[in-house]
Amino acid sequence: MEQYMMLHDYVSNAAAETALFYLISIFAIIMSVGVISDRNVIRSGFILIGVFGAISGLFLLLQAQFLALAQVMIYAVGITLVVVIALMLTNPRSEKDTSYENEPVSKDGSPISPFQRLRLIGPAFVGILSFFTIYTAIRSESWIASGEQVSPDNVRVLGTALTTTYSLPFEFASVLLLAALIGAIMLAKAERPTPVIEIGIDE
Amino acid sequence: MIPNAPEIGKLAFIIAFWICAIFLPVWAVSWAVGVFLPMIIEGQNPGPELALVADILRTATPILSVLVFIPLNAMFMVLYERRALALFTVRMGPNRVGPDGLLQTAADAVKLLLKEDITPRGADAVIFTLAPIVFFAPSIIGILPILAAITNNHPLFAITNLPTGIFFVLASASIPLVALVMAGWSSNNKYSLVGGLRAAAQAISYEIPLVLSLVTVCLMAGTLDVVKIAQQQDGGFLNWNILGGGALRGLDAAIATALKNQDWAPVIQAFYPYGAASFVAAIVLIFCSHILLGLYLTGACAEINRIPFDLPEAESELVSGYNTEYSGMKFAIFFLAEFTNLFIVSCIATVMFFGGGDNPFPQWFLDQLPLAGIQAGLGSALSFLINDMRLVDPDTFWAAIWVIIKVYSLVFFAILIRGTLPRFRIDQLMDFGWKRLVPLSLIAFLLVVFARVLVVSHGY
Repeated sequence: MEQYMMLHDYVSNAAAETALFYLISIFAIIMSVGVISDRNVIRSGFILIGVFGAISGLFLLLQAQFLALAQVMIYAVGITLVVVIALMLTNPRSEKDTSYENEPVSKDGSPISPFQRLRLIGPAFVGILSFFTIYTAIRSESWIASGEQVSPDNVRVLGTALTTTYSLPFEFASVLLLAALIGAIMLAKAERPTPVIEIGIDE
Repeated sequence: MIPNAPEIGKLAFIIAFWICAIFLPVWAVSWAVGVFLPMIIEGQNPGPELALVADILRTATPILSVLVFIPLNAMFMVLYERRALALFTVRMGPNRVGPDGLLQTAADAVKLLLKEDITPRGADAVIFTLAPIVFFAPSIIGILPILAAITNNHPLFAITNLPTGIFFVLASASIPLVALVMAGWSSNNKYSLVGGLRAAAQAISYEIPLVLSLVTVCLMAGTLDVVKIAQQQDGGFLNWNILGGGALRGLDAAIATALKNQDWAPVIQAFYPYGAASFVAAIVLIFCSHILLGLYLTGACAEINRIPFDLPEAESELVSGYNTEYSGMKFAIFFLAEFTNLFIVSCIATVMFFGGGDNPFPQWFLDQLPLAGIQAGLGSALSFLINDMRLVDPDTFWAAIWVIIKVYSLVFFAILIRGTLPRFRIDQLMDFGWKRLVPLSLIAFLLVVFARVLVVSHGY
């Protein structure tokens, strides 16, 4: 029985991995396009979960099980849900009200000021700039590809690295998060003067 | 004399009947797909294609057995819950369909499947349809690592044994939360929306104590792998994680040595090397692991929206919460997933705290009984089934029996809680989660970190 190709061989050969990579990437790209093109902000929030799920699939292909699961748990569920709930609470514009995006004219018909024009092209500029920065960074760097086998117990490897080699950056990151937490609490707890409700009976 | 003894008897009969009705088909399917069909195929010297088919069948065994198990289990759990609640509140419960209402939920399932499937006007149809699927799918995926643990790492189920074990389960258990918000938002109904938002707020808050309690157990065990965690606890209730994650392992070994009429003092010295400090640490560990179990059960109850944490579907305030607008098949899937989640939660508790498939009796106690003869007799009598047909694997069989007993006892406890406690108010719920449970779980974590250094426990 040993001489035949078994399921394990089919799944773990390079061609299957490449095919899976392309499938997941195509899915992720379609989902990302969906996120930015959907008129309904909340629905695009839900589509974002699909993007994060696909990225965690890429991590799984790279045998980074822990990262893939953390991606699902933190990004796909935790952060996206908080974003979606924040969107619901702030009551975003409905899908019909799209006048703002399409017309580069100010509301009273006067010619638009340079500041407003900047506001229109600004996001596109930032997007293109960051895309090219990341693209050149990925392509130019000569990445060290090690032929070392990935340890199946990569949680242990990660834990050891975080508490020995990279303990200082790790601590810095946690201090940063703590500062953000305290800042958020300070902002939320800021004492506002309670609005005086006037129940006057006017004659 | 217990006045409701006949009712208890009927409940026991229903449980026995349905457990057979659930696990015999699961057993049959796993055996047929994993052992019998590949055995036939490979028996006649197959070509490469047929050999591959046999291999695929073997690989598909865990998922097929889960797919058979889930609907049957949900049917049983609904009936179990209704009859047990009836027992607690001195009512009759469903008792018309079949003998003693035995087939009530089977009839309910047929009714739900035949109902019309309605998508309300103004609902977001795609997300409305997707929500039950996203709610249900993770419960199938999430149970897989647990399967390897509860079958004692049987070769057919060993494929589901992941090195990230419990983290995988937790990650897939967090996905249904998205589905609740999706269902609530897409229904275009204010009660559903409030229900979905409540579900999200509640689950995010209670996930922290839940995960911290399991992380602390993993810390005591020194691994995330559920199979290893289950195997560490082998050999009687003194080794279970509920008793300090192996803090009493020394006591177990000492009793075994004392029964052999040897000197037990060096054993105690080896397991508790720091004298009095070690004993204090062992007591702290036992205390902490009980707190951890409480934290886990509380967090899990909140995660799966059971009473007293069923605010997302509080019928007196929100009609039925996120699933108000659902009907027919889609509602059935929500229902199915809820009861499957209850089962999974009890399974995790069994594996993490109650020793998985381990029998509660210590080895030195079993040695006193004349079991070896019975075992040998049974082994030779059933040799045809065990060795030739490979229908019974003794290791897996006994593990499965103990897991079934433990899991359904925990489910019974959850039903008891449901019948006893009133529902929280939403602000009390948040207060309780953030101001009580989260600090408590952090304190328990800290205590365990220091205490486990002083005792030779699991994962030392």
